[in-house]
Amino acid sequence: MPVRGSYRSTAFLATIASAGLCVLGFSTIGFGAAVVGESRKVEITQKATGGLDALKAQYRRPTTIPFPKDDPYTPEKAALGKKLYFDTRLSVSSAQSCASCHSPGFGWGDGLAVGVGHGMAKLGRHSPTIVNAAWSAIFMWDGRLPTLEEQALGPIQSPGEMNMKLDDLLARLSSISEYKPLFDAAFPGEGMKAKTLAQAIATYERTVVSERAPFDAWIDGNEKAIPEDAKRGFAVFNGKAQCAACHEGWNFTNEGFQDIGLPSKDVGRGEYLPGVIKMQHAFKTPGLREIGRRSPYMHDGSLATLEQVIDHYDHAGVDRPSRSDLMRPLELTAQEKADLVAFLKTLTSELSPTAVPVLPR
Amino acid sequence: MRTIALFTGVIICGLSVGAYAATEVIHQQGRVFSSESISVKKGEAVTFLNDDTVPHNIMSASKGNEFNLGSQAPGTSTDVSFKEAGDVQVICAIHPRMKMMVKVTN
Repeated sequence: MPVRGSYRSTAFLATIASAGLCVLGFSTIGFGAAVVGESRKVEITQKATGGLDALKAQYRRPTTIPFPKDDPYTPEKAALGKKLYFDTRLSVSSAQSCASCHSPGFGWGDGLAVGVGHGMAKLGRHSPTIVNAAWSAIFMWDGRLPTLEEQALGPIQSPGEMNMKLDDLLARLSSISEYKPLFDAAFPGEGMKAKTLAQAIATYERTVVSERAPFDAWIDGNEKAIPEDAKRGFAVFNGKAQCAACHEGWNFTNEGFQDIGLPSKDVGRGEYLPGVIKMQHAFKTPGLREIGRRSPYMHDGSLATLEQVIDHYDHAGVDRPSRSDLMRPLELTAQEKADLVAFLKTLTSELSPTAVPVLPR
Repeated sequence: MRTIALFTGVIICGLSVGAYAATEVIHQQGRVFSSESISVKKGEAVTFLNDDTVPHNIMSASKGNEFNLGSQAPGTSTDVSFKEAGDVQVICAIHPRMKMMVKVTN
């Protein structure tokens, strides 16, 4: 329990402080009626970590893929979704598919600094991987879409990306005779419509899961599965470097939004929460699975190698009000940096080849 | 005389702050709120205690009860009292899985 009032000087001062903070609270969000009191430091007892074994237990892979109740898995739906995912006819030019920017050949990204959209125009941000999207809580670098189903339809309709109006797309797919029975089998009584199109693609995307990497074998008890420098890197990752504060759990993300100090004018999440200082220049924390196949890195693709990424965190980036309080110079040694890279490399699996589906005609 | 007046003022202010004393404490350990929903009376305060290992940014954009605690460091707590009746969605702007509802009653 908190120690109440230990830092409160007098009630009078507290009232003044409260009023001041109240004004600050309103100014950051525009207006409001809630009264925000003063902040107090409190004594809290952090739970002991329980040592390395307890720490490793936090990184154990799940055994099943979560599917939402309103879009449960069926083999028919996933098979249809895979065909749609790889079908370039989902773009107005018939030249781009979902797989163009989220390709299995590049760890389900595209290997480019920023994506390429309609007419080969460069997009503003790096194409994120779809690996382990089934576990995501929120979608897009700026978190503007709450479900994978909505995300599936976003790039299709975006003028800068696949530039395809949904009505036109449904008309086009209806003209491809082999698609109708696939929709009827996957969605009995519903057939082809925007909702089922989105559900099929999202269901397939949820089946795209990172495979077992050397790190997983080590977590499961095989001490020889990863080298000693990677084990040291795991300790730095969870300790001095504080990477795990955001890249936590088996998928190495808590889905949070942070400004990590990249010198970019893009305000990211700040566009949707304009009054929230810490959301300016904040982007979603990506998972780190298959990281070795996903360069270049960051939301703007500005860093080419893992070594550069670690150097960025070591220097802490641009110091500005929105920068995460977790970002601060780390003063990592050359050995610690090398160990971190060695550890990150253990998160990449021997990804199995993905068969491109035969498409309906 | 001035000392007595100041003392009296402090006591009165203390009583008014006491009126805002929080009846509910919401913890923030492990990137989750300790309750998914609570009910408070209008004018009552809720203490948001960051007993996690990372900063949080607790806020609400619910009309009439907007607030924003900014970056709340681990080991700090802040009281928020709600002035309008209604349902208030409280989130952490940093961690999207952190959501809770405060039902404010008259």
